Amino acid sequence: MATASHVVSQPRSSMLGARIREAGWGYGFVVVPIVVFGLFFVYPFGYALYISFFHWGILGKQSGGAGTFNYAKVIHDPVFHTAVKNVLEYTVGVVPLTMALGLSLALVINQKIHGRNFFRSAFYFPSIASSVAITTIALYIFNANGLFNHIIGSRTPWFQNAPTVMWAIVGLNSWTSAGTAMLYYLAALQSIPTDVYEAAAVDNTGAWRTFWKITFPLLRPAHFFILVVFGIGALKLFDQAFIVSNGLGGPNYSTYTPVFYIYRTAFTTFDFGLAASAGVVLFVIIFALTLVQRLTVGRQEAS
Amino acid sequence: MRKRLGVILGLLIAVVLLAATAQAGTRGANVTNVTLAGWSSGPDEDTLLNQVVAKFNATHPTIHATFTVINGDYPTAMTARFAAHNPPDVFYVDSSVIGAWERQGVVQPLNTYVKSTKFDTSAFFPKLLGAFQSGKTIYGFPKDWSPLAMEVNKGLLGQAGGKAPTNWSTLLKVAQTMKSKNLTPGGAPICLSPDWARMLAFVYQAGGSLSSITSPAAAAAVNFYVGLLKNGLAETPTQLGVDWCGTALGKGKSAIIFEGNWLLPFMKSTYPNVQYGVFPMVKDKTGGNLAFTVSYSMAKDSPNKQAAWTLLSWLVGKQGQTLWMSKGLALPSRKDVKAIGGRQNFLAAAPYAVGWGFGNPNFSTAYTVMNNDLTAVIAGSKSVSSMLSDIASALKGG
Amino acid sequence: MTLQTVAAAESFIPRRARAEVTRRVFFYAVIALVALLFFVPFIYTLTTSFKTLPDAANVTFIPHPWTTSGWHTIWTQYDFKTYIKNSVFLAVVVTVCNIFLGGLGGYAFARLKFPGRELLFLLVLGTIMVPDQLRLIPVFVMLTNWHLIGNFSGYILINLVTATNLFFMRQYFLTIPKDFEEAAKLDGAGYFKTFWRIMLPLALPAISALVILQFQGTWNDFFWPLILFGQGNPAHYTIQLGLAELNFQYGVLWPEICAGSIIAILPILAIFLAFQRYFISGVVSAGVKG
Repeated sequence: MATASHVVSQPRSSMLGARIREAGWGYGFVVVPIVVFGLFFVYPFGYALYISFFHWGILGKQSGGAGTFNYAKVIHDPVFHTAVKNVLEYTVGVVPLTMALGLSLALVINQKIHGRNFFRSAFYFPSIASSVAITTIALYIFNANGLFNHIIGSRTPWFQNAPTVMWAIVGLNSWTSAGTAMLYYLAALQSIPTDVYEAAAVDNTGAWRTFWKITFPLLRPAHFFILVVFGIGALKLFDQAFIVSNGLGGPNYSTYTPVFYIYRTAFTTFDFGLAASAGVVLFVIIFALTLVQRLTVGRQEAS
Repeated sequence: MRKRLGVILGLLIAVVLLAATAQAGTRGANVTNVTLAGWSSGPDEDTLLNQVVAKFNATHPTIHATFTVINGDYPTAMTARFAAHNPPDVFYVDSSVIGAWERQGVVQPLNTYVKSTKFDTSAFFPKLLGAFQSGKTIYGFPKDWSPLAMEVNKGLLGQAGGKAPTNWSTLLKVAQTMKSKNLTPGGAPICLSPDWARMLAFVYQAGGSLSSITSPAAAAAVNFYVGLLKNGLAETPTQLGVDWCGTALGKGKSAIIFEGNWLLPFMKSTYPNVQYGVFPMVKDKTGGNLAFTVSYSMAKDSPNKQAAWTLLSWLVGKQGQTLWMSKGLALPSRKDVKAIGGRQNFLAAAPYAVGWGFGNPNFSTAYTVMNNDLTAVIAGSKSVSSMLSDIASALKGG
Repeated sequence: MTLQTVAAAESFIPRRARAEVTRRVFFYAVIALVALLFFVPFIYTLTTSFKTLPDAANVTFIPHPWTTSGWHTIWTQYDFKTYIKNSVFLAVVVTVCNIFLGGLGGYAFARLKFPGRELLFLLVLGTIMVPDQLRLIPVFVMLTNWHLIGNFSGYILINLVTATNLFFMRQYFLTIPKDFEEAAKLDGAGYFKTFWRIMLPLALPAISALVILQFQGTWNDFFWPLILFGQGNPAHYTIQLGLAELNFQYGVLWPEICAGSIIAILPILAIFLAFQRYFISGVVSAGVKG
């Protein structure tokens, strides 16, 4: 708001010149990223959009003409429905859990506690340790005879059991990505001016109230960022589902995700047209959900 | 300011270009470079194949072959190379995907090369060569193979009467004895993977086949296999808390497993003290087994086809395969090459084992359906007949 | 929630000292337990690297017997020195490019007004949504035609800047009060100078987070290096491609993989320790007062 009033006080003609100059610099600053994104994201996506209307193999277009048959096939494929349902469940589970965990950890180590550096490193560790080691130990602890089942007295193979496997992956991934969310929140916490807290302290506001009334709303840009980035990442789940199911999406399609569907269709069946149409459908789903977030959580953050 | 921005951007581009020019290949005069790509099943195999390739290079001064290991995601990496018309000249193809790759037109038919160099194809076991044939067209030569066999813990077998099962009914009897004597505490007598790559062998034993998967014989085999799991004589690796049946045998959680030649180096390195025997696969109405095999094939887009054929035919020829078999890492696909000792119960399956792939271009896609449905059948949420009709439709490309 | 109470309680220590001590002990016990839980995989990896292969099949924390053969193998039979060098080179180049280009772009999207800004920003967000599996073939074919595969150039090019980093920098710049730029503008500083001299230093905490995450992201990347330059020439292998060499279908070399993983972790840990100290409250507000 300050900028606006400042600019208004200048003469009209130079204001126009300033605007053009600002726009020129603006374009200059974003031109490299836009070119990179254009070449390596927008063009491939446009290409996918194009081939989604054809029968398309490894070496290009195949006979059969153009049409929306691939979309008809994807939209009516019960396996794709299962894949979408699986990934939505996963996203609803993993995103809030990761955010809550990441924010809690960030709040803990943003305080003047003893051994702060130690705890920072410790909390970040699952994010850097090799995923092979993490997955191995998780599979071991949660297998039929594992430590976890010993404690709760059951024989459930959590990662190989259709009803539990997605939730097991939710647990694993929120644990390993909490450190990343913590870093984002930690960076954002640094931008909150300390005088805000000083004022709260003078008013004798309780810690809980201070957090909800001051800290939490001030973190809105960070919430929006993490929600969008982690949400999109969750909707693109592939790696863990692939590892846990030995590349088959099982048991009984319980780890089939839309990206896994794209992968199988493209690199096993070599039906690139069908894979592309599944990609476009997934993109539409993600885009719609992100737009909803932008219109709700992200609404007030834009200047 | 604009200048400075330009300088910084210029520096960035310079870094990129520098990295780009850092590596430029050099090619010697009159030497044709040929690339060979595959995955690796073990460090010994890497070393051995490099020795084989070095031998080829030493005996063929006009060709220089280099071996490339693609570990991680071989099919994806190869698909990208095919799409860019820049594939390796010679490469591994698993029998389960040869049909799909061939249909995409990326694998070179080899018949003209066979004819022009009078290459003798009769030395190969017909079933194994057949796994890479479509009609009379040859799309690759098997580099090696393995069927399944029955591996039994010797000590536990001794306590259960000492006689290894040979058919379904003796398998049941031995397993029941082991169960009643509690020989595998905390486990089960048999380890069975919820995997059609094991169960299909039983289907062929019952007189069924993949192409007649909705037949009563196939249903009978599925019911026998799933029945073993249901009545507790067998458990899956998941139920046993292990990653695969090899570990179950090693840890003594199971006494009887059905695995291939790949089990032997694993047991030797990981469970050297476990005494076990390798027996022929059990039979029912007939002998049934699967042949897991990998070919050397040539790329249709290869720019050096003649040199590629020279390499390929040497590798699968008697001399190349003899070298390749010298450490017993796999079984020979040629009748005129000897396997090292202790492999006769595997080799006995060569005349009747069916190539894993079954000549169906939709097989690798259908395999996903097969195993997902099988887990549902084991969990009791799907009927055997609906699984079999799902599979029949997936095999037709539905 | 205990944490919040404890933090705020600092100002009341004289009045509620005893309750405070109990709370503090409880608080440290809880976070120490969480820390231990978070350390377990690392400890497991470390101890497994000193096991023999048969022993590695037992999931125990103490090797029996102890051996350094895993470490010996990866250091003598595989060229991990080269792999580390390559990984460091790629991680540094990609991270530096991302800070500069992501920061510049993020600043423009946060502060400069230009027609189509919202649309372009939507495009940036859109790029995060495209799965790698979908763009793999077109990107690979493009880079092959430009002769940018088989070495690092294609990889660097497609990773010059990521949408996530640009988005993150934009979000951070949005939280910085505008007074700074006003002051700079009055001094006659141009847009680039404002960005370079004022905004970038203020974004130090964000840059630290970005350095840690991007360095680690490139360091751990497996899929694109495998496809673009991981086929055939070990002189170009990164640490992750090296680790994949140890991962065989039947018979994974666990001690070697674990030893390699430890080596793979150390540089990220060093980067983390070096940059985490810039997460200091009040960088921004201190500037306001000054």
